[in-house]
Amino acid sequence: MCAFKYNPAASREVYNLESGKYAQQCMQCGLCAVTCPARHLMDYTPRQLFKMLFAGEVDKVLKANTPWLCTSCCLCTVRCPRGIPIIDVMHSLKHYHFEKGTKAPVATLSKVFFDSMMKRGRVFELGMTNAYYMKSGFGAIKDAMKMQDVGMAMMKAKRLPLAPPKKVKGLGDVKKIYDKAVALAKEGH
Amino acid sequence: MAKKIGVYVCTGCGIGDALDIDKVTKVAEKEYKCPVVRTHAHLCGKEGVELIKKDLEGEEGVNAVIVAGCSGRVNTDVFNFGPSVMVERVNLREHVVWCHPANDEDTDMIAEDNMRMGIVKVQKSELPEPYIEEGIVKTILVVGGGLVGLTAALEAAAAGYKVVLIEKEASLGGWVAKQYKQVALRPPYDELRENDIQDIIKQVEDNPNITVYTSAKSEGISGGPGIFEVTINQNGNTVKEKVGAIVLATGAKPYDATKLAHLGFGRFQDVVTKDQFEEMASSGKITRPSDGKEVQSVTFIQCAGSRDPEHLPYCSAECCVGSLRQALYVKEQNPDATAVIIYKDLRAAGQYEFLYKKAQSEGVVFIKGEVVGVNEAGGQVSVEAEDVVRGETVQVDSDLVVLATGMVPTTAFGEEELTVEVKEGEEAEAAAAAADTIIRSDILNLQYRQGPELPSLKYGFPDSHFICFPYESRRTGIYPAGTVRAPMDVRAAIDDAAGAALKAIQCVELTAKGAAVHPRALDFSFPEFNLSRCTQCKRCTEECPFGAINEDEKTYPLPHPTRCRRCGTCMGACPERIISFKNYSVGMIGSMLKNIEVPEEFEEKPRILVFACENDAIPALDIAGINRLEYNPWIRIIPVRCLGSLNLIWIADAMSNGFDGVMLLGCKHGDDYQCHFVKGSELAEIRLSKISETLDRLRLESERVQMRQVSIMDYDQIPKILDEFAEKLEELGPNPMKDF
Ligand code: SF4
Ligand code: SF4
Ligand code: SF4
Ligand code: SF4
Repeated sequence: MCAFKYNPAASREVYNLESGKYAQQCMQCGLCAVTCPARHLMDYTPRQLFKMLFAGEVDKVLKANTPWLCTSCCLCTVRCPRGIPIIDVMHSLKHYHFEKGTKAPVATLSKVFFDSMMKRGRVFELGMTNAYYMKSGFGAIKDAMKMQDVGMAMMKAKRLPLAPPKKVKGLGDVKKIYDKAVALAKEGH
Repeated sequence: MAKKIGVYVCTGCGIGDALDIDKVTKVAEKEYKCPVVRTHAHLCGKEGVELIKKDLEGEEGVNAVIVAGCSGRVNTDVFNFGPSVMVERVNLREHVVWCHPANDEDTDMIAEDNMRMGIVKVQKSELPEPYIEEGIVKTILVVGGGLVGLTAALEAAAAGYKVVLIEKEASLGGWVAKQYKQVALRPPYDELRENDIQDIIKQVEDNPNITVYTSAKSEGISGGPGIFEVTINQNGNTVKEKVGAIVLATGAKPYDATKLAHLGFGRFQDVVTKDQFEEMASSGKITRPSDGKEVQSVTFIQCAGSRDPEHLPYCSAECCVGSLRQALYVKEQNPDATAVIIYKDLRAAGQYEFLYKKAQSEGVVFIKGEVVGVNEAGGQVSVEAEDVVRGETVQVDSDLVVLATGMVPTTAFGEEELTVEVKEGEEAEAAAAAADTIIRSDILNLQYRQGPELPSLKYGFPDSHFICFPYESRRTGIYPAGTVRAPMDVRAAIDDAAGAALKAIQCVELTAKGAAVHPRALDFSFPEFNLSRCTQCKRCTEECPFGAINEDEKTYPLPHPTRCRRCGTCMGACPERIISFKNYSVGMIGSMLKNIEVPEEFEEKPRILVFACENDAIPALDIAGINRLEYNPWIRIIPVRCLGSLNLIWIADAMSNGFDGVMLLGCKHGDDYQCHFVKGSELAEIRLSKISETLDRLRLESERVQMRQVSIMDYDQIPKILDEFAEKLEELGPNPMKDF
């Protein structure tokens, strides 16, 4: 038989995440899907993502770009008739992703963006791009070559400086805020 | 007592401004010589009512009052002067000044004609005297001791009525008693609760007002409301009980799962019905029948046999909620077990939404789709379904599959028969329409000429007036409630029980007064038969929609007045015209229409007679007036109790009196009928088909007489219907009989 097999038990771990349990209450109305401003870029809308969870397709959920493209705009969350805090579910999924060490390009991008940001308080585009391709493995180098033209054009237009930008003022304070947030999260807030 | 008519014309509500009131009062004074004729600017006010009361009490000695003003459907309490004063209302407002141009000769003519009809009606009427049967009892019989029967019994007993409850099983509780847990009836509605049926049973058993017979059934019920005599057979002994009204609460049976082989039943041991599953849950452990192992995964298939043209075409209403409940049993036994529900639509409306959410948060998985196959795979049952949300065929393997089977009313089991032998010839069509389908389900065993059980309409449910008046059956005084009436869940069934108990109480109270029950509640008139002229044609016996007329030994009609709903269908059916009410008769309506002034042909003022049913068409005409919708001024309206009371002689009279056309406005008939008297409007339409042959023979176009089905909501259509009919008549030209 070639029919797709439901395996609801497989998703149990996801439901046990901090905000994972809320996903269970989705009734597939699709309101989030039509609301989301980023839906056209997403592999799956939030609704589809939740349906995949019900069916037990955790791998697909982990590879989906949906949580990473979520802008935390909160539009879906205020409209969901089931009152599901969809943004929170997205955050939980992102954490879960790192926990599992899953590879997904947009997750990698997020990570290098964040690291670059924490170093100077602002992004160093060229450094971040390099880091992205390095981290993404062998295939990505090929992709990087394909993008050469674009990179050159941007450099000519002075949109891609070779030297890293200056640190922002008060970077230490930003770090403190971040560390505090991490500590709070660890305490379970 | 000789009638002394007082006529009171109200000039308020714009009536005085729009009409030439002198013309209207002159009709009463000069044409009909009414002894007292007065006008008042605000008759429904205190002063106006006093004016009438003074004439009633004073030396004028008025004993019949005609109020000409607003519709008879309003201010009924204001113009009620007690049972000894006849009151007739002549509509000058909704049917005249509010729907026809002011200060117009034609509008005045309508008012004058309405006044003529009102006076003639009073002249031809008598005050009804209530028919009070001897030895009326107010005890209520409840048939069926399940949740609905028990609740109905408790409700009636709490209201102070004696109750006799019969249950065919040895113990009370019915289907609900077999359940493990119950859905919540109170907020927050999301937890299951312990089954409390045993408490309810105890309350019933301890209630001094309730007599319970278990292992008992009705062997025969004779009589009628207030005077039913029930023969109860309990374990072979017979007991007789007298009761006043009956609540039928015998519930439903699960659909026969052996017909569901396509869903695996009978093919695989681990495919069970919801009732088998409930039994397992009650017994403490949910296991696989094949190997006795505790289940780790359960799949529920919804609509098993329901909403399926091959099986039960209807929705069984309870199984969605039932499966939510049962899926929670699975989670209760083992939170790690999986439960999947495959559904077409999850019909868990209202507060059941909370239960649905609860099931979801416990991890129950829902698949919207249609099951396409059930097979065995690796020691599990594998269900294949078209998942409409995923847009593909999916497969769910589980230890156990539960079929959410639907419900079949207990009244559906038995041989079907028609109450009336459908014969050949003239009356065949009317007989066919009048015939009821009776299923010999061996529940009530009525000793009625019309068959032993309630008539059924569709799918074996006893016919209740499901669109407008649930609980009302076509056998007066017998009120079906709960799942025998319509598929429903526990909460709806509890409400139903209370509703039917109230209906039964109303019935015994009204019957004790000699009054009709719904829809003519408090009507004291009843049909009287002048049997010396009866030809024993049986039209009345067969056409009475309520089985109120039996036959005596000599095959004369034998009316049962307490079963009668006062619709007048018998009166309309009788070719000899020997059936009449004190205040409603063939002669009375005939005189009313003959007293309408029909102008000569050269005056070019056609006349169109409309017989309008009081239940929907008259209110619709009133609403048309309230909305100031204008229609043809040649129309004259006569309200009738039900189109079923239409006697063909009226149409012949109308034509020979020069009316250019006749229109009947009655309720919708057919399977989803809205006729308050179920068969009335249908029978009228059939009678009408007879008259068209006669009209053709007289060289009168049969289009001159037409019937339209309208509901109260069609008020905005009515002017169009009437105007188009008037146009059609104009095309046909004047009635050639006019000048004879
Ligand atoms: S709006 Fe809420 S309930 Fe509807 S599909 Fe999205 S998450 Fe599910
Ligand atoms: S919060 Fe995220 S998922 Fe929701 S609408 Fe905004 S971008 Fe889309
Ligand atoms: S329809 Fe009239 S004539 Fe015929 S049996 Fe009935 S009462 Fe008699
Ligand atoms: S037809 Fe109507 S009025 Fe006549 S006996 Fe039956 S219920 Fe009564």
